[in-house]
Amino acid sequence: MVALVIALALFFDFTNGFHDTANAMATPIATGAIKPKTAVALAAVLNLVGAFLSTEVAKTVSGGIIREGSGGIQITPDIIFAGLMGAVLWNMITWLKGLPSSSSHALFGGLIGAAIAGIGFHSVNLETLLQKVILPAVFAPVIAGLVAYICTRIAYALTSRHDPETGSKLTQKRGGFRTGQIFTSSLVALAHGTNDAQKTMGIITLVLISAGTQEPGSGPQLWVIAACALAIAIGTYAGGWRIIRTMGAGLTEVKPAQGFAAESSTASAILASSHLGFALSTTQVASGSVIGSGMGRRGTTVRWGMVGRIALGWLFTLPAAGIVGALTALLVKTGIVGVVIAAVAGTGAVLYMFLVSRKSEVGHHNAVEVEEAGQAVRWAKKKALARARAAERAKNNPKDPQR
Amino acid sequence: MKWLELLTVAGATLVAAVTLVVLYSLGVRLTAIAGDRQVAAPGWVRYLAYACFGLSGIAVLFGLYLIIPYFSG
Repeated sequence: MVALVIALALFFDFTNGFHDTANAMATPIATGAIKPKTAVALAAVLNLVGAFLSTEVAKTVSGGIIREGSGGIQITPDIIFAGLMGAVLWNMITWLKGLPSSSSHALFGGLIGAAIAGIGFHSVNLETLLQKVILPAVFAPVIAGLVAYICTRIAYALTSRHDPETGSKLTQKRGGFRTGQIFTSSLVALAHGTNDAQKTMGIITLVLISAGTQEPGSGPQLWVIAACALAIAIGTYAGGWRIIRTMGAGLTEVKPAQGFAAESSTASAILASSHLGFALSTTQVASGSVIGSGMGRRGTTVRWGMVGRIALGWLFTLPAAGIVGALTALLVKTGIVGVVIAAVAGTGAVLYMFLVSRKSEVGHHNAVEVEEAGQAVRWAKKKALARARAAERAKNNPKDPQR
Repeated sequence: MKWLELLTVAGATLVAAVTLVVLYSLGVRLTAIAGDRQVAAPGWVRYLAYACFGLSGIAVLFGLYLIIPYFSG
C-alpha cells in the first residue's frame, strides 16, 4: 500500500509539473521570447533546482484542513491514496480540456472527499478550508489581475514614444521586454518549484510516518526530495501544451511588454504570498495576471468566454476531485480487492484520457499558433469528440501562422 | 480571518511588481532614446539605461534572496 501511494504521489507530481508549465512559460512562448522547447527545458531545470532549495512548505502540507495528529483523526495511507486518485484524475481532465486549474486545490479536494467518505464529515475543518482555499481562490486572480493591469499601463506609458514636434508616433522599440521576459518567467518557474514539489514531498513523508517507517516530526528524506524534484521536472519538460495554448493565446493576445508585466506580477504575488504566509495558488495568480495585462493594453480584447470557462473549472476543482476521492475511499475501505479495483480503474481512466488526447494532439509545434483549435475545445463532455475532430481540422489548415 | 495578511500580500505584490516594471520600462525607453539616429542623444542616456537594467536585476535577485531559505534564514 505504501509503495502504491508513493508511486501515485510521484505521478501526481508529474501531472502537477506538466499542468503548471503554462504558468511560467505560456507568455514567453506566446510572444516568441523563448522557443517552446527551450522554454519547457528551462522551466524543468528551474523546477528541479527549486525543489531542492526549500523544504519548508513540505512540513505544512494540507496542514489543518483535515484534523490530523494527536487528539484528532489519524490519517491513513488509504485516505491519502484515495485523495491522490481524485487529484490526479482531475488534473488529467482539466489538462485534456486545456484549463489552467490549481493542482493544489485538486489535491485538497481529493483529500477532503476521501476524509469525508472514509472517516466522516467531522474530520474536515471548515474554517481552515475557507481561509486556506476558498478565499485565496477568490482574491488571487483579483490581486494579480489588478497589479498586472497597473503594470501594463505603466510599461506602455513609460515606453510610448512620440515625436515632440509633430506628435506622430516614433518607432516604439519595445523589443527589450522580450529579453526581460526570459528572466521574469524563469523566476516564476523557480518559485513554482519551491512551492509545488513540496506538496508531494509532504504527502510522501506523511505516508512514511503513518506507516511507521519514519520518525514523526522529521523532514522529508533525501531520496524523497530527489524523486519529487525529478518527477516535477520531467512533468514540466513533457509540457502541458494544451494549457500553454489557453494561457498564451486563448485568453488574450500577448505582446512582450504585457508578458513582462504579467510575469512580474505573477512572480511578485507568489513571492509575496509565500513569504508573508497567505498562500495563493500559482495557477490562479498567473491566469489573473494574463487577464489583467490583457485589459491593460488598449486595443486588446479579453476572451471572457474562455475566462468564464476557466472560472467554472476552478469552481468544480474542489468538489470534483472530492467526489473521485470519496468514491476511491469507499472502494479502498472494502479491503484489498477494492484497492486493486481502484488502482486498475484509475490507471484505465488516465490511459483513456491519454488516448483521447492523441486524437487532437497539441505539441510544441502548434501550441500557440492555432487559436481556433483552442476555442474548439469545449466543456461539454458529449461534444468533446466532435470538437476534437474540429480541432484537428483547424490544426491541419492553420489560419494565421504567426511565425 | 486574516484580512491584514491579505492586504499585506496585495500591497507587497503591487510595490514589487511596479518597481520592477518601472525600472525595466525606463531601461527600455532610455535604450530606445540612446539608439536614435536622427537626434544625437547625450552619452549618459545609455549608461542610465544600463543602470536601470542593473537595478531591476538587483530587485529580482532580492526576490530570490527572499524565497531561498538558505539565505534569509
